[in-house]
Amino acid sequence: MTRHDMTALLEAKGIVVEAPAGSARVAVLRDLDLALKPASVLGLVGESGAGKSMVGRLIGGILPAGFTVASGSLTFAGRDLLGIATAERQALLGRDIGFIPQQPMTSLNPVRSVGSLFDEHLAKLGVAGRAERRAQAVAALASVQLPDPASLLGRYAHELSGGMCQRVLIAMAFASRPKLLVADEPTTALDVITQARIMALLADLCRKLGTAVLFVTHDLRLAAQVCDEIAVMYAGEVVEQAPARTLLSAPRHPYTQALRNCSPSLDGALLRLVSLPEHMPGLRALADIGGCRFAPRCPISDESCVAAPPPLVETSPGHWVRAAGKCLAAAGLARGEAPHGKGGDGGGLILEADKLSKTFVLRDPLLWWKKRRVDAVKNISFRLRAGEFLGIVGQSGSGKSTLARLLLGLEVASAGRIVLDGSDVTGRFSAHAARRVEAIQMIFQDPQSALNPRRRVASIVTQPMEAGTSPWNARLERAKTLLAETGLAPELAERYPSQLSGGQRQRVNIARSLCNTPRVLVADEIVSGLDVSIQAQILNLLADLRRQHDVALVLISHDLSVVRYLCDRVIVMYRGEAVEEGDTDTVFRSPRHWYTKALMAAVPPDDVHHVWDPHTASSASAPLEPAAET
Amino acid sequence: MTAAEKEVPAPRPMNEGRARIRRLLRSGRVLVGGGIVLVIVICALFAPLLAPQDPNNQDLLAQLLPPAWSADGVPEHPLGTDNLGRDTLSRLIYSTRVAVLVAVTASLGAMLLGTTLALVAGYFGGLIDWLVSRAVELWLSFPPVVLSLILIVGFGVGLGNVILAIILVDWTRFCRVVRSEVLVVRRQDYVDAARLAGFSHFRTLWSEVLPAVGPLVLTLLSLEMGIAVIVEAILSFVGMSVESTVPAWGVMIADARKDMFQSIWGMALPIMAIIITVLGFNLLGDGLRRALDPKLRQREIQ
Repeated sequence: MTRHDMTALLEAKGIVVEAPAGSARVAVLRDLDLALKPASVLGLVGESGAGKSMVGRLIGGILPAGFTVASGSLTFAGRDLLGIATAERQALLGRDIGFIPQQPMTSLNPVRSVGSLFDEHLAKLGVAGRAERRAQAVAALASVQLPDPASLLGRYAHELSGGMCQRVLIAMAFASRPKLLVADEPTTALDVITQARIMALLADLCRKLGTAVLFVTHDLRLAAQVCDEIAVMYAGEVVEQAPARTLLSAPRHPYTQALRNCSPSLDGALLRLVSLPEHMPGLRALADIGGCRFAPRCPISDESCVAAPPPLVETSPGHWVRAAGKCLAAAGLARGEAPHGKGGDGGGLILEADKLSKTFVLRDPLLWWKKRRVDAVKNISFRLRAGEFLGIVGQSGSGKSTLARLLLGLEVASAGRIVLDGSDVTGRFSAHAARRVEAIQMIFQDPQSALNPRRRVASIVTQPMEAGTSPWNARLERAKTLLAETGLAPELAERYPSQLSGGQRQRVNIARSLCNTPRVLVADEIVSGLDVSIQAQILNLLADLRRQHDVALVLISHDLSVVRYLCDRVIVMYRGEAVEEGDTDTVFRSPRHWYTKALMAAVPPDDVHHVWDPHTASSASAPLEPAAET
Repeated sequence: MTAAEKEVPAPRPMNEGRARIRRLLRSGRVLVGGGIVLVIVICALFAPLLAPQDPNNQDLLAQLLPPAWSADGVPEHPLGTDNLGRDTLSRLIYSTRVAVLVAVTASLGAMLLGTTLALVAGYFGGLIDWLVSRAVELWLSFPPVVLSLILIVGFGVGLGNVILAIILVDWTRFCRVVRSEVLVVRRQDYVDAARLAGFSHFRTLWSEVLPAVGPLVLTLLSLEMGIAVIVEAILSFVGMSVESTVPAWGVMIADARKDMFQSIWGMALPIMAIIITVLGFNLLGDGLRRALDPKLRQREIQ
């Protein structure tokens, strides 16, 4: 291989990591070749199960039990990281190699203050003197733009927001001026505005200190904006590697193309999302795949694909693709059908919310009479017509989930009215409350928690029939119809939720909400926990359901591009209030409220020539600072 | 199509029940614990058939005999006799009647009271939760043995009152633990989903919340059975439970106490009976929980 030069800081050559799967051993990383130059940023992009986090674990020497390196070499600054003694590795980690974890909240020891954690870290780095360490800690916290760093030393993880925790961890990682930083999904647990700020901070520090970064993420657009080079991983293999802009603008591998075209964008024409069938093979499934690992999901695969794994070939200088000739000869994936029909006007008014408010009363656990009021939803009004898709956007804590619970009657409004088909259904005991059960249904956020683990799929999706007196056969019939409508095989009817994949669970979740053929669906963040290729399946399913059933949807999401893809109108919520409302096109083309603008700017753009500077993205949201970070 | 439909087994409680029983029989804890409990229940049911003699039959010529295998033992009394010459084996066997009666009724009573309050408090929250939680805290601040002695003094001596006292003292064990589990289950979206499927509160509690806390309740139940056996033994030891003519392990220990320096067996055997019984209940409870809880089941598969 000639693709490596001698100046590389971190270099992986032909690494194979094997894991036990039943009786056989399966390569969870296969033929991994990576080279990271000093002061450059390499992105590892892939969905969950692609093996991208395994690379970080390999560098840290913390492979899961049973995982072994079968062959290959990994060198860091000329030293062999695989054969290195444990003590020597530990001296490197945290000093020359820094790590930034995925879950900032749980990565800080909750029973120790930030100051004591920092002090310990600096002592390990060899900084003598408690006062000196304190001074350095304050300086480090100031360098990550945390307000009042001196008082922060006495605080604990639970007193800080996710963004602040991540800043503390970044400050600790940079305290030793590392040559290499491994950042494993550092912003996945944070909301979009905080993500833009953290990325801007990381970019600044790396440029200042000349740190190389291995940036692990599932977000191709984000990677394209912050990385110099990107390696796309699928099922333990690098399938494509290229300079970041090239990769996003001219992807060659079918998987990269699908990855780019399966998440909706904030600008450009609305095209139907590409959705790959099924999901990424698990460990056991990998054992049965002899040839190309992407073949079972590949839209252009044929018999020749399963014969032998395709080689990594260089198609243009610096652009490597693991593909056979015919994959490259193919013109690229067709972008589905024409724009899917957003319409929905002309339907009659079906649901109306009139100045809805909800105030929660929080009580002292011991002294019942001591209480505090929290306004979760303030004066929200909207009208929903049959077949219309309404998006509600806002970050966590903006009251959008409370609004959903109000519409469904799971919470009772403190003020305001909900009118369904002309009759008031606001109160828990109102005469028409029973009609609400038939007309409005919810698709829950987390399918893991929304499906009773003790019920079979058939019993879950027909649960609304259980309240009546339907015989079991009728329910089983209905269950099969619903499964077919949501694209699931009828055999799944007898399974338990624990035997389904994440995407299948979300489909079951949707199937249940359709059981009574409701007229309004309320969907609360239903794609946020899913991989992008599964997300595309679900979004297309919702679009299809509208065409078939003329059902109206209230889609609650923090993801603007999802709302743009599906919704006709949008309400932007901020701290319980609607700050902007209007047609999706109008709002997204010319946002008026500063908060909407901040949200829009924080999303990495689809077009690589449109430069996304996290600095401007985050400065647009400057007035937000006290709200988001405390 | 129709052939395929026939192959799909309907997910009815019966099928799920059979699968559970199969899983249970694979667990060592359930087999050993269940075996011990089964033996004890059989002893209680068929005591007149199993016991070699009447438990109150005195033989003053054969007092304080050691078990048959020691030098002075006689084969007519396999486990020896007590200070009145009563057959120890027969008394041990008859004593299981009191033990099983108290274990089953007292722990079921405590379970019903504690779990009902826990479900209502944890599910509805608010004022009712506040009242129940404060009551539990108040209850737990009494020493349990003193509380049960006070209750017995108030109610009067007798087996029925012993059972009542155990229920009134130990419902808090169920209530406190089950309530916190109900709080966790209540937050699961499938509970809200059941409400949106048109279920009443009672029905949601019955078919969604209760099955989720079922394994926990079952574990607590069998632990409580062991505790009830011990509490009954304590109370019959101090003479506050059954009449002295009714054989019970606590009574046997109390009788043997005076002669423990001449013959340790009269004391050791009922103590061993109590230990084995409690061990059986505990093993059974733990095994049931492991086999029935889907979360633990998944972890074992992985």
